[in-house]
Amino acid sequence: MAGPAVAVRGMRVAYGSFIVLEDVDLTAADGEVVAVTGVNGAGKSTLLSCMAGLHRPAAGTVAVLGARPRDNAAFWRAVALVADQPTWYPGLTVREHLELVRLTHEPVSGWCLRVDELIDTFGLAVRADAVPFDLSSGQRQRLSLAAALARPSRLLLLDEPEQSLDPGFRQELAGLLLEYTGHGGTVVMATHDLDFATAAGARRILIADGRVAAPGLAGPNP
Amino acid sequence: MIAATTAAGAPRVPAIRSFIRGRRRRPWYDWYSMAFVVMLAVVLLSDLLAQPFGRLAGSGGSAPAQAVAGAALVIGSAAGMLMLAQALGPLALSPGDACWLLLTPLDRRAVLRRPAAVTAAVSALAGGALGVLGLAMAGPYLRPGSSTHRVPWAWLVLAAVGGAGFLVAAMLAGVLAQPWPRWRARMRAAGAVAGVVAVAGAVTGERWTGVSRAVTGSFARLSTGTFGLIAAVAVAAACLGALLVQRMLPRFPAGVVRADSVRAGTTLLAAAFLNVPLLTWMAEDSHWRGRLLASRPWPRRAAFAPGLSPAFVLAWADWRRLARRPGVLIALAVSTLAPALAGAAFTGRAHGWTTAAVVLAGAVAAGTQGTTATRRDTNDPTLRRLLGVDSGTVLAARAALPALLSAAWLTVALTLLVLTGDLPGRPLDGWLWPLSGLAAGAGVAAAALRIARTAPINPADQGPDTPVGTAPPWLITRAGSVLLGLAGAYPTLRAILAGQVHGSTFAAQLAVSAVVLGGYLMLAVRVAPSR
Repeated sequence: MAGPAVAVRGMRVAYGSFIVLEDVDLTAADGEVVAVTGVNGAGKSTLLSCMAGLHRPAAGTVAVLGARPRDNAAFWRAVALVADQPTWYPGLTVREHLELVRLTHEPVSGWCLRVDELIDTFGLAVRADAVPFDLSSGQRQRLSLAAALARPSRLLLLDEPEQSLDPGFRQELAGLLLEYTGHGGTVVMATHDLDFATAAGARRILIADGRVAAPGLAGPNP
Repeated sequence: MIAATTAAGAPRVPAIRSFIRGRRRRPWYDWYSMAFVVMLAVVLLSDLLAQPFGRLAGSGGSAPAQAVAGAALVIGSAAGMLMLAQALGPLALSPGDACWLLLTPLDRRAVLRRPAAVTAAVSALAGGALGVLGLAMAGPYLRPGSSTHRVPWAWLVLAAVGGAGFLVAAMLAGVLAQPWPRWRARMRAAGAVAGVVAVAGAVTGERWTGVSRAVTGSFARLSTGTFGLIAAVAVAAACLGALLVQRMLPRFPAGVVRADSVRAGTTLLAAAFLNVPLLTWMAEDSHWRGRLLASRPWPRRAAFAPGLSPAFVLAWADWRRLARRPGVLIALAVSTLAPALAGAAFTGRAHGWTTAAVVLAGAVAAGTQGTTATRRDTNDPTLRRLLGVDSGTVLAARAALPALLSAAWLTVALTLLVLTGDLPGRPLDGWLWPLSGLAAGAGVAAAALRIARTAPINPADQGPDTPVGTAPPWLITRAGSVLLGLAGAYPTLRAILAGQVHGSTFAAQLAVSAVVLGGYLMLAVRVAPSR
């Protein structure tokens, strides 16, 4: 594929008269982890929402995997989004939710983890037959992330994936993201945890006052 | 390019739904509850509609004003359904489907076809019923052309088809407008205008008999051909709507369906458990979201209530909220016509239980518009601790607004009932009705406050045993609020049922209101602060 996995140019987003993002430029190369940071309300989630095609910017362009986000089957086969706590099916277990994700993405071709692997990796083995309502908030967050890795994709959009996770598992998650990018995937995530971003080898982008204040910080925390 | 990654032979939605259905464990009492609710609704509705439907068989007559009010009620109900559907979607999946099936490679049309079909089917059922009800309202004035007054079956079928077609068309138009906020707002406005026109028409018909006679005269000119034409136009409109929706489904934006589905799911759950706090919280949240308001200082304590506790300053939150929502006050003002319309449409009598029930419900609903802050911090112990003021004093301070709203609503509603002739308005009696309403406001406010302070339903709660089984506490506590309202306005409601008011009614109402509100405030402070 020619060009970056994600390319945002001159993007402007407003809710009524309130401007959330202004003149935002951002790129994420194939196989790269990009961490978008910024204070609460900086517009990180809105940026991810625009990349997922769920929110249309007022101005500028967004290209994901070489095309405008189209909100169609081809797009959602290539892009996985973990934006907020999902709504669970009442009466379905943890394992069944993960199996459902694979079923909706059949035929599964490309790198992803099998359901049993996911349950082990995400520490859900003892709760595999529980319904998600009975899980702790951290376990539910693990399940959300596991669902994103239960199917092959080329771009992972994660909104604060570290929330509710214990420090130990954050490190494991960082390793999983590195493994994902090692297989050609790209990750763009909004996060407040700079240690987690560093562990995932992320290039950090700082958003302040609706604009990209620092387009490419790498390495340890400043 | 993305398309290169798309594999052929994507999974079929029926197979996915079958996977989910085959694994979901739904307890038997879920089905039992659903069937019970449906049966209860059928019994209540059939009881309520027996008299209007009886007119189809030529039994019972109605005054022209009653027929016009009935027709207006049908139009108003259809408008209300459209507005409700706009608020919830109308196209919405179950929250689970919205979360797990939308942002996937599944065929969007296949995912959305079922909810679209359900929307159309429910609209067709409701529209068919409204069509027949409309025909029943006009019944005594129709001229079927035979010696009997019985409405022909063909008219009945054509009215049902026409009603179903128009409501399906309107609902599908709502689906087409759903992805665009501007069009959605226009649809809501159209529903509101239809409702207001219906109410205005009913009031005009009730006040000026010439108008109602002209309308009922037009009913007499209806023929099989007219009904056939109406039904044909309605079916054509519904088919056009269905075609456009079918073409739109593959491109229907996921973000819109997701947001609407989550809201609709939560609303239906809250409605199923009569969770008024959650329902009103959602309505408030949806109203204020995305708005920018000019922050204004709180009134200074010295100027507002010298020497009194900060509770009165805190109570100001509800006054300010209401000042920022003039639409609520307008809606309340319009709703004061409801008792007159409901009474005329269903009973056609100057008084009766329908009028009294609508008066009580309207007054309580008006009072609840002044209890938003109470609802918020009653169910939020953290917020209550944060505010750090005595809950009893705050509750007393907050009782003023609901009492004022209920009193104002009752005064206007009872005045309108006198003006429309539904309540006797001899010179002295005419004044006593609104005066009694004014006095009843405080009593009804107790019910509004109790509703606001009632904790959300916990279905797991076990209640006391009764001869018909264990009564759930939520049912008892909600029934308690209704009874409190009934007690608070008892003298006035009794006068409405009897159709006569005296000076003693006003005096009794004053005393009852003082006792009920005062007693509730004293008890509410003593009992646990969360109740």
